[in-house]
Amino acid sequence: MRRPTRSTTRSRLRLRDRFGTGLSGLGSRPGRTLLTALGIALGIASMVTVVGISSSSKADLLAELDALGTNLLQVRPGQSLFGDEAVLPTDAATMLRAVPTVLDAVGVTSISGDVTRNEHDDDPYGLSVVATDGRLVDVLQLELASGRSIDAETQSLPVAVLGAVAAERLAIADASGGPTVTIDSVKFQVIGILKPHALHPDLDRSVLIGEAHARDDLGIDPNHSAVYVRVEPSLIEESRPILARTANPVSPNEVEVSRPSDALEAQTKVDQNLQNLLLALGGVALLVGGVGIANIMVISVIERRSEIGLRRALGATRGHISSQFVIEAAALSTLGGALGLGMGVAATWIYADSQGWSLAIPVQALLAGIAAALAIGAFAGLYPATKAARLDPADAVRPHG
Amino acid sequence: MTPALELRNVTRLYPGEPPIRALDGVDLRIDPGEMIAIVGPSGSGKSTLLNIMGTLDRPTSGDVLIDGIDTASLGDRQRSGLRSGRLGFIFQSFHLLEGMRVVDNVANGLLYRGIDRSTRLKRAREALELVGLADRAATRPPKLSGGQRQRVAIARALVGDPALILADEPTGNLDSQTSEDILELLEDLNAHHGATIAIITHDLEVAERIPRRINVRDGRVEDTAAPPPIPVEVPA
Ligand SMILES: Nc1ncnc2c1ncn2[C@@H]1O[C@H](COP(=O)(O)OP(=O)(O)O)[C@@H](O)[C@H]1O
Ligand SMILES: [Mg+2]
Repeated sequence: MRRPTRSTTRSRLRLRDRFGTGLSGLGSRPGRTLLTALGIALGIASMVTVVGISSSSKADLLAELDALGTNLLQVRPGQSLFGDEAVLPTDAATMLRAVPTVLDAVGVTSISGDVTRNEHDDDPYGLSVVATDGRLVDVLQLELASGRSIDAETQSLPVAVLGAVAAERLAIADASGGPTVTIDSVKFQVIGILKPHALHPDLDRSVLIGEAHARDDLGIDPNHSAVYVRVEPSLIEESRPILARTANPVSPNEVEVSRPSDALEAQTKVDQNLQNLLLALGGVALLVGGVGIANIMVISVIERRSEIGLRRALGATRGHISSQFVIEAAALSTLGGALGLGMGVAATWIYADSQGWSLAIPVQALLAGIAAALAIGAFAGLYPATKAARLDPADAVRPHG
Repeated sequence: MTPALELRNVTRLYPGEPPIRALDGVDLRIDPGEMIAIVGPSGSGKSTLLNIMGTLDRPTSGDVLIDGIDTASLGDRQRSGLRSGRLGFIFQSFHLLEGMRVVDNVANGLLYRGIDRSTRLKRAREALELVGLADRAATRPPKLSGGQRQRVAIARALVGDPALILADEPTGNLDSQTSEDILELLEDLNAHHGATIAIITHDLEVAERIPRRINVRDGRVEDTAAPPPIPVEVPA
């Protein structure tokens, strides 16, 4: 009697053919394939969109921050040892300008005063008054929507420059034609209106007046409530302690040095919660998509009972049958994933375009999307594949099983 | 000579109260080059017999040897290997994959042998030539008649040059003229290409053309070949 040997009796299916048989089932039912893949597609699309929109907006913000310069530091009085409000020495700005790593510095002084349109107007506009000098525009890189700003010539005159929100609230659209405002019943001529400024939203709600005018004509102490400092971009961290010591050599611990761009950058992370929620929703959609695939595959196994019987008769092992169905499910899901990527990128692109951002989707997110789809599909295919492999071949080849 | 198939005292019980004795102590031997008919009424155990001959099913007791190989101790991979390498199946309902071209359906007969695709297709074309369907290679099954479909299935069964071709009611879905053609094809493959074929049928007209008949009744077989065949009457 001949003994069985490995070479004569083992079934073999080439790797290519494994994939071929796995994919063959998809093409024969294109409609169903597409509908089943859609579940995964929606899940992946929503996740890609969430990640895409958030990273595009972040990229945009970071670009904006870069343009504004991340080398802007703010020096403010902190608290004294006894918990009182500290004050900055009057010459703080001058001293800071002398520090080698400091490119420029400008002090601002908050002044209490009611801003109104004229002396008969007593509506509260909720605006603050800030005295400063001509350096402010350069140091903060402020842009003017119209007119001119406080500068060397105008800082000693009774003139005002309006922040964007202030101008809007006072209903002054243009600095030409000599509009005026009153601050505590004193009239100021509006010579300029600022554009909104992302780093300094508080300036948007302010009315700027000349420091020299405030000191000489209004008798206000130029006690700087803050000094803005531009430092050498490569020496930002090193500069911080020097700035504190220079601003107040007697009690440097009563000085706070901060970086406004940090606060803005931190804002982008606040949205993380919402982003996580949306990602979780996308995850649920993926899960539902995976269950959908498993469902359809179970039906497919029942419908294709005779195909399974035939393949068993042709020599397919249980392993060949199960790998066929796992590959089919994984391919179905990956197809959905690819579809979803396309949809997600398109949605992100449309949204980013409407916001004037440029598209920035991390490649890792795209790869992760495809990998997730593949894994979900393979996992979803496991149960139906096992069912298919366990079919009794004799039963499966019987007519009308 | 190694028999293409040998059954020794094969019994198959299906669970039930009492158990259904679908096969009951069957002995059978088919030699290479033989063509036999397995006949019997519906429910007599023919399909059960064929499935056991084809290793799609296992006997409750008894031995099944295919091409000299005892199948009792074989695992799934090796039994599957026997089917891919030494057995060919033809079914009543053809079992073609409707979405695939005819030539690919035939080439599937070699799929689980690890043969590369171009060789499979080349041999599939040769097999289609043998069954007279060379010109339909690129057609898909839904466009074929029943007789043509069964020819495709026959080509698929013989493409791997198996030791034994098993056909379960191959003409069961065909009209009598087509049945006749299919039977002639099988006879020709047996006579001129050395194919060993076992055909299940309950069609007596079909059975009568085949010299060796196995009668199945209630799970027991009666072989017209043993005792030696009754001499065929030669028409005057
Ligand atoms: N999977 C099964 N489970 C239980 N009984 C079965 C099964 N398959 C066949 N049978 C029974 O075994 C007997 C033989 O069936 P079968 O081999 O299909 O006969 P045939 O092909 O001659 O019509 C019948 O009584 C049938 O009902
Ligand atoms: Mg039957």
